[in-house]
Amino acid sequence: MNWFMGIDIGSAYSKGVIIRDSELAACHIVLSGANYRTTAETIRQELLKQANLTQDDLTNVVATGTGAASVTFASHRASEIVCTARGTNSIFPQVKTAIEIAAQSSKVIKINEQGMVTNFTISERCAAGSGRFIEVMANVLRIDLKDFGPLSLKSKQPVTFSTGCAVFGESEAITRVTEGIPKEDIAAGVNQALAGKISSLAKKIKLEEPCAICGGGALNTGLVKAVEQELRTRLLVPPQPQIITALGAAIAASTK
Amino acid sequence: MYFAGVDIGSTMTKVVLMDVDGTILSTIKGPTGPEHRQLANEVMRMALEQAKVPLKEVAYIVATGYGRLNVPFADRQITELTCHATGVYSLFPNARIAIDIGGQDAKCMKINNGKLVDFVMNDKCAAGTGRFLEVIAATLGIKLEDLGALSLKSTKRVSISNVCTIFAQQEIAARLSEGEKAEDIIAGMHDALASRVVTLARRFKIEPDVVLTGGVAKNSGMVNAMRENLGCEILVPPDPLITGAMGAAILARENYNKAISQGEPVATKSRRLDKATFFSQ
Repeated sequence: MNWFMGIDIGSAYSKGVIIRDSELAACHIVLSGANYRTTAETIRQELLKQANLTQDDLTNVVATGTGAASVTFASHRASEIVCTARGTNSIFPQVKTAIEIAAQSSKVIKINEQGMVTNFTISERCAAGSGRFIEVMANVLRIDLKDFGPLSLKSKQPVTFSTGCAVFGESEAITRVTEGIPKEDIAAGVNQALAGKISSLAKKIKLEEPCAICGGGALNTGLVKAVEQELRTRLLVPPQPQIITALGAAIAASTK
Repeated sequence: MYFAGVDIGSTMTKVVLMDVDGTILSTIKGPTGPEHRQLANEVMRMALEQAKVPLKEVAYIVATGYGRLNVPFADRQITELTCHATGVYSLFPNARIAIDIGGQDAKCMKINNGKLVDFVMNDKCAAGTGRFLEVIAATLGIKLEDLGALSLKSTKRVSISNVCTIFAQQEIAARLSEGEKAEDIIAGMHDALASRVVTLARRFKIEPDVVLTGGVAKNSGMVNAMRENLGCEILVPPDPLITGAMGAAILARENYNKAISQGEPVATKSRRLDKATFFSQ
């Protein structure tokens, strides 16, 4: 029997999966914390426990993400872009463009029928173009990250942000709060602002339908809707959008 | 007869009161709150009290800065770029380049014979403004005014790889936990900000004299970092915060003289410093 593990150590969360015959056998998500090495070890133990396996049962382990180098038990390393593409392709074989909104970056990746990357663009220098923007704003609005999407969807009059900077945006949001603007309108404005950045990123490489969205940002239903409106396209959302890259790493492990 | 310049910046509000010879009688600096109109009145009143000048003897008032439209008692609004250039030129007649790093933007002005001929500005990204220092100082738990002196103690500058203020904040927290010294991190942060401002300024040919103004110019570590990144000497006025308000006061005098010579009325008599509300005129 062939079992494969994929570990994705991100800047905020670390994700791990075990697959067998392309079926998900185990999956685990934890905060990355300061020590990636122990985080990777925690994930490994949990995954092996869930699948009732020992390390010797695993044929291959592929690590990816910011902290891939800290996964000492990995047999190979792979780039995040490649893993996100393969993970997306395994769930939606028809998808030609994958959008990933992560904690510290956003990516738009074009994928062929074999799940290979044909082109990509990435934004990783500016917090306002990543999931971090939502985190910062949720903090200003004192709302839980998981409530951000549903709250924003209640808005009838989203505010327009005059700035494209997360730090200036923070001040602007505070000003709007003191003016008595409802939180849902500010949250909706935040989602629109980020969607605008994603859209300009996507325009750098011609978007091809169908499209999928993944990464932690895809858990924000308001953001997904805002990106759909900006790009004027429907977005497919996998059931667990956070683990797509880890899943892709496991698939890469199965082909090594 | 007196003239005043009111500069409402994003972080600080400044007032300069001048007599007819251009001698500064009083300067007031206070934090800009959310209520610009209230504050403009308050700082103006303080400046008058300090100089013991009655309001009716103030002939002309120019408002500048991003809150310049919220100064109901001003005769005229003039952009901060023009006011800065005028203020810098009055202090340094050989100034060719003026760089102003404020709390919410950074500007580089090209000056020729005291006139503003061109400018570049960053107000889009906090990482190229004084805001960067504010955020990082808060992360380090250090007062803004202590950054300069602390950074001069640095022996081993920690380079900061992230541009974005928010990502840099995270990076700095990581460096601190690795045991890097605050002074080395601050020195790295000054270098990072200086290199971004200098990149902006290099759209012009850098010719001496180069003058640095704005709140950030009070930070000696930043002045050094700017010098190093520009590769030339930098002049800093004794009070770098008030050049905009000073320029506004100088322009107030020019405008008054022009109005009088053209026989236009100047509204000195009807000027009031009532407790204004946000909606009053």
